[in-house]
Amino acid sequence: MAVLRPFDKLPELNSATILLVGAEGGPQQQLAEAMLCEKKDFNINIHLASSLPLPPERDHLRPRIDLIAFVIDIKSKYSLKSVQASLAYVDVRFFLGKVCFLVTGVGRVNNCSVEMNAIWKLGEDYCSPVIFCELELEGIRVATAQRLLRMLQICAGRVPGVSALYFSLLMRNSAGD
Amino acid sequence: MNQSIFENFAPSDSIENAEKLPEMMNDSVCPVDATEELLRECENIWKEMEKCQSKLTLLTAEPVPESDAKVSLLLTRMQALRAEYYQWQKRNPELISTNPEVLLLLGEEELQKLQKELEMVLSAVQSKNEKLKEDLEREQQWHDEQVQALNTFKEMEEEMKKEVVTDSEKRVFQELKNQVSELKEYKKKLLNALGEFLEEHFPLPEKNGNAKKKRFSEEPSEQVITMHEILEILLNQLMSTPHEPYVTADDSFWPPYLELLLRSGIVLRHPEDPNMIRLEAFHE
Repeated sequence: MAVLRPFDKLPELNSATILLVGAEGGPQQQLAEAMLCEKKDFNINIHLASSLPLPPERDHLRPRIDLIAFVIDIKSKYSLKSVQASLAYVDVRFFLGKVCFLVTGVGRVNNCSVEMNAIWKLGEDYCSPVIFCELELEGIRVATAQRLLRMLQICAGRVPGVSALYFSLLMRNSAGD
Repeated sequence: MNQSIFENFAPSDSIENAEKLPEMMNDSVCPVDATEELLRECENIWKEMEKCQSKLTLLTAEPVPESDAKVSLLLTRMQALRAEYYQWQKRNPELISTNPEVLLLLGEEELQKLQKELEMVLSAVQSKNEKLKEDLEREQQWHDEQVQALNTFKEMEEEMKKEVVTDSEKRVFQELKNQVSELKEYKKKLLNALGEFLEEHFPLPEKNGNAKKKRFSEEPSEQVITMHEILEILLNQLMSTPHEPYVTADDSFWPPYLELLLRSGIVLRHPEDPNMIRLEAFHE
Protein backbone atom coordinates (compact mmCIF):
# COMPACT_ATOMS: atom_id res chain seq x y z
CA MET A 1 0.00 0.00 0.00
CA ALA A 2 1.41 3.22 -1.21
CA VAL A 3 -0.27 5.57 1.24
CA LEU A 4 0.96 5.59 4.82
CA ARG A 5 -1.74 4.99 7.35
CA PRO A 6 -1.37 5.83 11.03
CA PHE A 7 -2.97 2.81 12.67
CA ASP A 8 -2.31 0.04 10.20
CA LYS A 9 -0.40 -2.19 12.61
CA LEU A 10 -0.33 -3.03 16.27
CA PRO A 11 2.21 -1.03 18.22
CA GLU A 12 5.31 -2.67 19.55
CA LEU A 13 5.88 -2.86 23.27
CA ASN A 14 7.78 -0.01 24.84
CA SER A 15 8.86 1.54 21.59
CA ALA A 16 8.00 4.32 19.19
CA THR A 17 8.90 4.96 15.60
CA ILE A 18 9.65 8.19 13.80
CA LEU A 19 10.05 8.62 10.08
CA LEU A 20 12.28 11.42 8.82
CA VAL A 21 11.45 12.32 5.24
CA GLY A 22 13.74 14.71 3.45
CA ALA A 23 16.57 15.01 1.01
CA GLU A 24 19.47 12.83 1.97
CA GLY A 25 22.28 14.49 3.71
CA GLY A 26 24.38 14.77 6.81
CA PRO A 27 21.91 16.80 8.88
CA GLN A 28 19.26 14.07 8.84
CA GLN A 29 21.76 11.43 9.91
CA GLN A 30 23.17 13.66 12.62
CA LEU A 31 19.71 14.48 13.91
CA ALA A 32 18.91 10.79 14.11
CA GLU A 33 22.08 10.15 16.07
CA ALA A 34 21.31 13.04 18.42
CA MET A 35 17.90 11.58 19.07
CA LEU A 36 19.40 8.19 19.85
CA CYS A 37 21.81 9.77 22.31
CA GLU A 38 19.08 11.39 24.34
CA LYS A 39 18.04 9.94 27.64
CA LYS A 40 14.71 8.18 27.31
CA ASP A 41 12.85 5.33 28.90
CA PHE A 42 11.56 3.63 25.78
CA ASN A 43 13.06 2.33 22.54
CA ILE A 44 12.91 4.42 19.47
CA ASN A 45 13.20 3.40 15.86
CA ILE A 46 14.28 6.07 13.45
CA HIS A 47 13.56 5.53 9.78
CA LEU A 48 15.12 7.79 7.19
CA ALA A 49 13.64 8.26 3.74
CA SER A 50 14.37 10.71 0.98
CA SER A 51 10.79 10.70 -0.30
CA LEU A 52 7.52 8.84 -0.15
CA PRO A 53 6.16 6.35 -1.09
CA LEU A 54 8.24 3.92 0.90
CA PRO A 55 9.34 0.83 -0.97
CA PRO A 56 6.67 -1.84 -0.52
CA GLU A 57 9.08 -4.78 -0.20
CA ARG A 58 9.94 -4.05 3.42
CA ASP A 59 6.43 -3.08 4.42
CA HIS A 60 5.84 -6.11 6.68
CA LEU A 61 9.09 -5.53 8.53
CA ARG A 62 8.38 -1.95 9.29
CA PRO A 63 6.76 -1.09 12.62
CA ARG A 64 3.84 1.24 13.00
CA ILE A 65 4.92 4.80 12.35
CA ASP A 66 3.99 7.23 15.12
CA LEU A 67 5.40 10.51 13.83
CA ILE A 68 6.44 11.73 10.37
CA ALA A 69 8.85 14.66 10.29
CA PHE A 70 9.33 16.26 6.88
CA VAL A 71 12.75 17.88 6.70
CA ILE A 72 12.92 20.91 4.39
CA ASP A 73 16.25 22.50 3.66
CA ILE A 74 15.81 26.20 3.10
CA LYS A 75 18.81 26.33 0.82
CA SER A 76 17.37 24.06 -1.86
CA LYS A 77 14.07 24.43 -3.67
CA TYR A 78 14.32 20.77 -4.56
CA SER A 79 13.79 19.65 -0.97
CA LEU A 80 10.58 21.68 -0.72
CA LYS A 81 9.31 20.21 -4.00
CA SER A 82 10.10 16.64 -3.02
CA VAL A 83 8.37 17.12 0.35
CA GLN A 84 5.30 18.51 -1.39
CA ALA A 85 5.26 15.52 -3.72
CA SER A 86 5.60 13.11 -0.79
CA LEU A 87 2.67 14.67 1.01
CA ALA A 88 0.34 13.03 -1.46
CA TYR A 89 1.26 9.61 -0.07
CA VAL A 90 0.24 10.34 3.50
CA ASP A 91 -3.17 9.46 4.81
CA VAL A 92 -5.43 12.23 6.07
CA ARG A 93 -5.45 10.86 9.59
CA PHE A 94 -1.75 11.38 9.93
CA PHE A 95 -2.27 15.12 9.82
CA LEU A 96 -4.22 15.05 13.06
CA GLY A 97 -1.06 15.79 14.97
CA LYS A 98 1.28 13.05 13.78
CA VAL A 99 3.07 15.15 11.19
CA CYS A 100 5.45 18.00 11.65
CA PHE A 101 7.61 20.06 9.33
CA LEU A 102 11.22 20.62 10.23
CA VAL A 103 12.85 23.55 8.45
CA THR A 104 16.61 23.54 8.58
CA GLY A 105 19.28 25.88 7.38
CA VAL A 106 17.73 29.00 8.86
CA GLY A 107 21.09 30.10 10.12
CA ARG A 108 22.12 31.35 6.70
CA VAL A 109 19.52 33.87 5.73
CA ASN A 110 21.40 35.07 2.67
CA ASN A 111 21.48 31.58 1.15
CA CYS A 112 17.71 31.24 1.29
CA SER A 113 16.15 30.05 -1.88
CA VAL A 114 12.85 28.98 -0.42
CA GLU A 115 10.36 31.65 0.50
CA MET A 116 9.18 31.84 4.09
CA ASN A 117 5.68 32.40 2.80
CA ALA A 118 5.68 29.06 1.05
CA ILE A 119 6.69 27.31 4.25
CA TRP A 120 4.12 29.08 6.40
CA LYS A 121 1.48 28.25 3.81
CA LEU A 122 2.52 24.62 3.90
CA GLY A 123 2.16 24.53 7.65
CA GLU A 124 -1.21 26.27 7.47
CA ASP A 125 -2.62 24.12 4.70
CA TYR A 126 -1.72 20.87 6.41
CA CYS A 127 -2.52 22.12 9.91
CA SER A 128 0.80 20.89 11.22
CA PRO A 129 3.45 22.56 13.31
CA VAL A 130 6.52 24.01 11.63
CA ILE A 131 9.74 23.85 13.62
CA PHE A 132 12.60 26.06 12.52
CA CYS A 133 16.11 24.92 13.37
CA GLU A 134 19.68 24.94 12.19
CA LEU A 135 20.78 21.35 12.18
CA GLU A 136 24.39 22.17 11.49
CA LEU A 137 24.83 23.69 14.92
CA GLU A 138 25.35 21.17 17.68
CA GLY A 139 23.35 22.94 20.36
CA ILE A 140 20.30 23.51 18.20
CA ARG A 141 20.52 19.97 16.89
CA VAL A 142 20.38 18.58 20.41
CA ALA A 143 17.48 20.87 21.31
CA THR A 144 15.55 19.85 18.19
CA ALA A 145 16.20 16.20 18.96
CA GLN A 146 14.75 16.71 22.43
CA ARG A 147 11.67 18.41 21.02
CA LEU A 148 11.11 15.67 18.47
CA LEU A 149 11.53 13.07 21.16
CA ARG A 150 8.88 14.70 23.29
CA MET A 151 6.52 14.92 20.32
CA LEU A 152 7.19 11.27 19.54
CA GLN A 153 6.34 10.30 23.09
CA ILE A 154 3.02 12.01 22.78
CA CYS A 155 2.24 10.71 19.32
CA ALA A 156 2.99 7.13 20.40
CA GLY A 157 0.49 7.50 23.21
CA ARG A 158 3.06 7.21 25.96
CA VAL A 159 1.93 10.33 27.78
CA PRO A 160 -1.35 9.63 29.54
CA GLY A 161 -4.04 12.21 29.00
CA VAL A 162 -2.42 13.97 26.05
CA SER A 163 -3.29 12.81 22.57
CA ALA A 164 -1.48 13.78 19.40
CA LEU A 165 -4.44 15.88 18.25
CA TYR A 166 -4.60 17.74 21.52
CA PHE A 167 -0.91 18.43 21.42
CA SER A 168 -1.06 19.71 17.86
CA LEU A 169 -3.75 22.15 18.98
CA LEU A 170 -1.43 23.45 21.67
CA MET A 171 1.37 23.87 19.13
CA ARG A 172 -0.86 25.81 16.80
CA ASN A 173 -2.04 28.24 19.43
CA SER A 174 1.47 28.95 20.55
CA ALA A 175 2.51 29.85 17.02
CA GLY A 176 0.24 32.86 17.26
CA ASP A 177 -2.52 31.74 14.93
CA MET B 1 -15.29 5.63 11.61
CA ASN B 2 -13.72 8.12 13.90
CA GLN B 3 -15.18 6.54 16.97
CA SER B 4 -13.21 3.44 16.27
CA ILE B 5 -9.98 5.35 15.94
CA PHE B 6 -10.46 6.75 19.32
CA GLU B 7 -11.27 3.61 21.11
CA ASN B 8 -7.55 3.25 20.82
CA PHE B 9 -7.33 6.18 23.08
CA ALA B 10 -8.33 4.46 26.29
CA PRO B 11 -6.06 1.45 25.89
CA SER B 12 -3.04 3.61 25.14
CA ASP B 13 -2.53 4.52 28.73
CA SER B 14 -3.22 1.09 29.96
CA ILE B 15 -0.33 0.12 27.74
CA GLU B 16 1.76 2.38 29.95
CA ASN B 17 1.02 0.13 32.86
CA ALA B 18 1.64 -2.93 30.72
CA GLU B 19 5.04 -1.49 29.90
CA LYS B 20 5.84 -0.90 33.50
CA LEU B 21 5.45 -4.61 34.02
CA PRO B 22 8.92 -5.62 32.76
CA GLU B 23 10.51 -3.19 35.23
CA MET B 24 8.52 -4.48 38.10
CA MET B 25 9.16 -8.09 37.24
CA ASN B 26 12.79 -7.51 38.14
CA ASP B 27 11.82 -6.48 41.59
CA SER B 28 12.03 -9.56 43.79
CA VAL B 29 9.96 -8.01 46.55
CA CYS B 30 6.85 -8.26 44.42
CA PRO B 31 4.82 -11.35 45.39
CA VAL B 32 3.67 -13.72 42.70
CA ASP B 33 0.00 -12.86 42.83
CA ALA B 34 0.65 -9.21 42.07
CA THR B 35 2.55 -10.05 38.90
CA GLU B 36 -0.05 -12.57 37.88
CA GLU B 37 -2.74 -9.98 38.35
CA LEU B 38 -0.88 -7.49 36.22
CA LEU B 39 -0.18 -10.06 33.55
CA ARG B 40 -3.86 -10.89 33.38
CA GLU B 41 -4.72 -7.21 33.06
CA CYS B 42 -2.21 -6.80 30.27
CA GLU B 43 -3.60 -9.78 28.38
CA ASN B 44 -7.08 -8.32 28.54
CA ILE B 45 -5.93 -4.99 27.29
CA TRP B 46 -4.00 -6.58 24.47
CA LYS B 47 -7.05 -8.52 23.39
CA GLU B 48 -9.06 -5.31 23.29
CA MET B 49 -6.39 -3.69 21.22
CA GLU B 50 -6.39 -6.51 18.71
CA LYS B 51 -10.14 -6.10 18.34
CA CYS B 52 -9.75 -2.39 17.67
CA GLN B 53 -6.93 -3.03 15.27
CA SER B 54 -8.99 -5.46 13.25
CA LYS B 55 -11.66 -2.77 12.91
CA LEU B 56 -9.04 -0.26 11.87
CA THR B 57 -7.54 -2.41 9.16
CA LEU B 58 -10.91 -2.34 7.44
CA LEU B 59 -10.52 1.39 6.84
CA THR B 60 -9.23 2.38 3.46
CA ALA B 61 -6.42 4.79 2.99
CA GLU B 62 -7.40 8.35 2.16
CA PRO B 63 -4.66 10.57 0.86
CA VAL B 64 -5.12 14.29 1.19
CA PRO B 65 -6.48 15.91 -1.97
CA GLU B 66 -4.18 18.48 -3.54
CA SER B 67 -6.79 21.15 -3.90
CA ASP B 68 -8.71 22.27 -0.81
CA ALA B 69 -6.29 20.37 1.37
CA LYS B 70 -6.93 22.73 4.22
CA VAL B 71 -10.70 22.45 4.02
CA SER B 72 -10.77 18.67 4.06
CA LEU B 73 -8.17 18.53 6.78
CA LEU B 74 -10.05 20.99 8.94
CA LEU B 75 -13.24 18.98 8.51
CA THR B 76 -11.46 15.80 9.54
CA ARG B 77 -9.93 17.61 12.49
CA MET B 78 -13.29 18.81 13.57
CA GLN B 79 -14.72 15.28 13.47
CA ALA B 80 -11.73 13.91 15.34
CA LEU B 81 -11.93 16.59 18.01
CA ARG B 82 -15.59 15.92 18.48
CA ALA B 83 -14.97 12.21 18.86
CA GLU B 84 -12.20 12.81 21.36
CA TYR B 85 -14.41 15.17 23.27
CA TYR B 86 -17.12 12.54 23.57
CA GLN B 87 -14.54 10.00 24.70
CA TRP B 88 -13.45 12.30 27.47
CA GLN B 89 -17.02 12.88 28.52
CA LYS B 90 -17.73 9.17 28.72
CA ARG B 91 -14.59 8.33 30.62
CA ASN B 92 -14.52 7.65 34.29
CA PRO B 93 -11.36 7.66 36.34
CA GLU B 94 -10.24 4.08 36.76
CA LEU B 95 -8.10 2.52 39.43
CA ILE B 96 -4.71 1.39 38.32
CA SER B 97 -4.66 -1.54 40.65
CA THR B 98 -5.62 -2.31 44.25
CA ASN B 99 -2.50 -4.26 44.95
CA PRO B 100 -0.42 -2.37 47.51
CA GLU B 101 2.99 -3.40 46.19
CA VAL B 102 2.13 -2.20 42.74
CA LEU B 103 0.85 1.06 44.12
CA LEU B 104 3.93 1.50 46.27
CA LEU B 105 6.28 1.03 43.38
CA LEU B 106 4.29 3.30 41.15
CA GLY B 107 4.16 5.93 43.87
CA GLU B 108 7.93 5.76 44.36
CA GLU B 109 8.52 6.21 40.67
CA GLU B 110 6.20 9.18 40.45
CA LEU B 111 7.84 10.85 43.42
CA GLN B 112 11.28 10.32 41.95
CA LYS B 113 10.19 11.85 38.67
CA LEU B 114 8.71 14.76 40.54
CA GLN B 115 11.89 15.25 42.51
CA LYS B 116 13.98 15.32 39.36
CA GLU B 117 11.71 17.86 37.74
CA LEU B 118 11.70 20.06 40.82
CA GLU B 119 15.47 19.93 40.96
CA MET B 120 15.61 21.06 37.36
CA VAL B 121 13.25 23.89 38.10
CA LEU B 122 15.30 24.87 41.11
CA SER B 123 18.54 25.00 39.21
CA ALA B 124 16.94 26.93 36.37
CA VAL B 125 15.49 29.47 38.75
CA GLN B 126 18.76 29.81 40.62
CA SER B 127 20.76 30.43 37.48
CA LYS B 128 18.17 32.95 36.37
CA ASN B 129 18.45 34.68 39.72
CA GLU B 130 22.19 34.92 39.43
CA LYS B 131 21.96 36.31 35.96
CA LEU B 132 19.46 38.89 37.14
CA LYS B 133 21.74 39.85 40.01
CA GLU B 134 24.62 40.35 37.63
CA ASP B 135 22.45 42.41 35.34
CA LEU B 136 21.29 44.49 38.26
CA GLU B 137 24.84 45.15 39.39
CA ARG B 138 25.88 46.16 35.95
CA GLU B 139 22.94 48.46 35.52
CA GLN B 140 23.58 49.95 38.95
CA GLN B 141 27.18 50.67 38.05
CA TRP B 142 26.19 52.24 34.80
CA HIS B 143 23.60 54.32 36.56
CA ASP B 144 26.15 55.58 39.09
CA GLU B 145 28.55 56.51 36.35
CA GLN B 146 25.85 58.37 34.52
CA VAL B 147 24.87 60.26 37.66
CA GLN B 148 28.48 61.23 38.24
CA ALA B 149 28.84 62.38 34.67
CA LEU B 150 25.66 64.39 34.99
CA ASN B 151 26.89 66.09 38.15
CA THR B 152 30.19 66.95 36.55
CA PHE B 153 28.44 68.42 33.58
CA LYS B 154 26.20 70.48 35.83
CA GLU B 155 29.16 71.88 37.70
CA MET B 156 30.92 72.71 34.49
CA GLU B 157 27.83 74.46 33.25
CA GLU B 158 27.64 76.56 36.43
CA GLU B 159 31.26 77.57 36.21
CA MET B 160 30.97 78.51 32.62
CA LYS B 161 27.90 80.60 33.31
CA LYS B 162 29.73 82.55 36.02
CA GLU B 163 32.70 83.11 33.85
CA VAL B 164 30.61 84.43 31.06
CA VAL B 165 28.93 87.00 33.30
CA THR B 166 32.00 88.29 35.07
CA ASP B 167 33.94 88.14 31.91
CA SER B 168 31.63 90.48 30.10
CA GLU B 169 31.54 92.88 33.05
CA LYS B 170 35.27 92.82 33.35
CA ARG B 171 35.64 93.40 29.71
CA VAL B 172 33.45 96.44 29.72
CA PHE B 173 35.21 97.79 32.77
CA GLN B 174 38.52 97.13 31.13
CA GLU B 175 37.42 98.87 28.00
CA LEU B 176 36.25 101.92 29.90
CA LYS B 177 39.50 102.10 31.80
CA ASN B 178 41.39 101.91 28.57
CA GLN B 179 39.34 104.68 27.09
CA VAL B 180 39.81 106.82 30.15
CA SER B 181 43.56 106.36 30.14
CA GLU B 182 43.68 107.03 26.44
CA LEU B 183 41.81 110.24 26.90
CA LYS B 184 44.05 111.25 29.75
CA GLU B 185 47.07 110.65 27.58
CA TYR B 186 45.58 112.68 24.82
CA LYS B 187 44.76 115.49 27.20
CA LYS B 188 48.31 115.46 28.48
CA LYS B 189 49.65 115.55 24.98
CA LEU B 190 47.43 118.44 24.04
CA LEU B 191 48.36 120.39 27.13
CA ASN B 192 52.03 119.77 26.51
CA ALA B 193 51.71 120.84 22.91
CA LEU B 194 49.78 123.92 23.97
CA GLY B 195 52.37 124.75 26.58
CA GLU B 196 55.21 124.43 24.10
CA PHE B 197 53.39 126.52 21.52
CA LEU B 198 52.62 129.20 24.02
CA GLU B 199 56.16 129.22 25.37
CA GLU B 200 57.49 129.60 21.89
CA HIS B 201 55.19 132.30 20.54
CA PHE B 202 53.91 134.08 23.61
CA PRO B 203 56.83 134.39 25.98
CA LEU B 204 56.85 136.57 29.07
CA PRO B 205 57.72 140.10 28.27
CA GLU B 206 61.41 140.68 29.03
CA LYS B 207 62.42 143.03 31.71
CA ASN B 208 65.00 144.63 29.44
CA GLY B 209 62.45 145.52 26.79
CA ASN B 210 62.75 148.61 24.55
CA ALA B 211 61.34 152.00 25.40
CA LYS B 212 58.09 151.37 23.59
CA LYS B 213 57.32 148.35 25.63
CA LYS B 214 58.51 150.13 28.75
CA ARG B 215 55.90 152.72 28.25
CA PHE B 216 53.09 150.15 28.22
CA SER B 217 54.37 148.22 31.14
CA GLU B 218 53.99 150.85 33.74
CA GLU B 219 54.81 148.63 36.58
CA PRO B 220 57.50 146.36 35.36
CA SER B 221 58.34 145.25 38.83
CA GLU B 222 54.93 143.71 39.15
CA GLN B 223 54.66 140.12 38.45
CA VAL B 224 53.16 139.34 35.06
CA ILE B 225 51.91 135.86 34.45
CA THR B 226 52.53 133.91 31.34
CA MET B 227 49.97 133.42 28.59
CA HIS B 228 49.82 129.85 29.64
CA GLU B 229 48.84 130.83 33.13
CA ILE B 230 46.23 133.30 31.92
CA LEU B 231 44.64 130.68 29.78
CA GLU B 232 44.83 128.18 32.63
CA ILE B 233 43.04 130.52 35.04
CA LEU B 234 40.35 131.28 32.50
CA LEU B 235 39.94 127.59 31.59
CA ASN B 236 39.71 126.45 35.19
CA GLN B 237 37.19 129.15 35.98
CA LEU B 238 35.05 128.12 33.04
CA MET B 239 35.26 124.45 33.74
CA SER B 240 34.83 124.50 37.50
CA THR B 241 32.08 127.07 37.70
CA PRO B 242 30.35 127.27 34.35
CA HIS B 243 27.70 129.59 35.81
CA GLU B 244 30.42 132.04 36.91
CA PRO B 245 33.00 131.99 34.14
CA TYR B 246 34.20 135.57 34.77
CA VAL B 247 37.59 136.33 36.04
CA THR B 248 38.84 139.76 37.14
CA ALA B 249 41.46 140.91 34.72
CA ASP B 250 43.98 142.48 37.06
CA ASP B 251 47.33 143.95 36.19
CA SER B 252 49.08 140.63 36.26
CA PHE B 253 47.51 139.95 32.91
CA TRP B 254 49.93 141.56 30.46
CA PRO B 255 47.69 143.97 28.46
CA PRO B 256 49.04 143.23 24.96
CA TYR B 257 48.23 139.55 25.41
CA LEU B 258 44.86 140.44 26.79
CA GLU B 259 44.16 142.62 23.79
CA LEU B 260 45.23 139.81 21.51
CA LEU B 261 42.90 137.35 23.17
CA LEU B 262 40.04 139.82 23.07
CA ARG B 263 40.58 140.64 19.43
CA SER B 264 40.80 137.04 18.34
CA GLY B 265 37.58 136.23 20.15
CA ILE B 266 39.06 133.69 22.55
CA VAL B 267 38.16 135.84 25.51
CA LEU B 268 35.11 138.03 26.06
CA ARG B 269 34.51 140.98 28.29
CA HIS B 270 31.71 141.03 30.76
CA PRO B 271 28.93 143.17 29.21
CA GLU B 272 28.62 145.36 32.29
CA ASP B 273 32.02 145.26 33.85
CA PRO B 274 34.98 145.92 31.57
CA ASN B 275 37.43 144.35 33.98
CA MET B 276 35.77 140.94 33.94
CA ILE B 277 36.68 138.54 31.24
CA ARG B 278 35.76 135.03 30.41
CA LEU B 279 36.85 132.31 28.06
CA GLU B 280 34.67 131.73 25.09
CA ALA B 281 32.81 128.48 25.46
CA PHE B 282 33.97 126.72 22.34
CA HIS B 283 32.69 123.41 23.52
CA GLU B 284 29.04 124.45 23.71
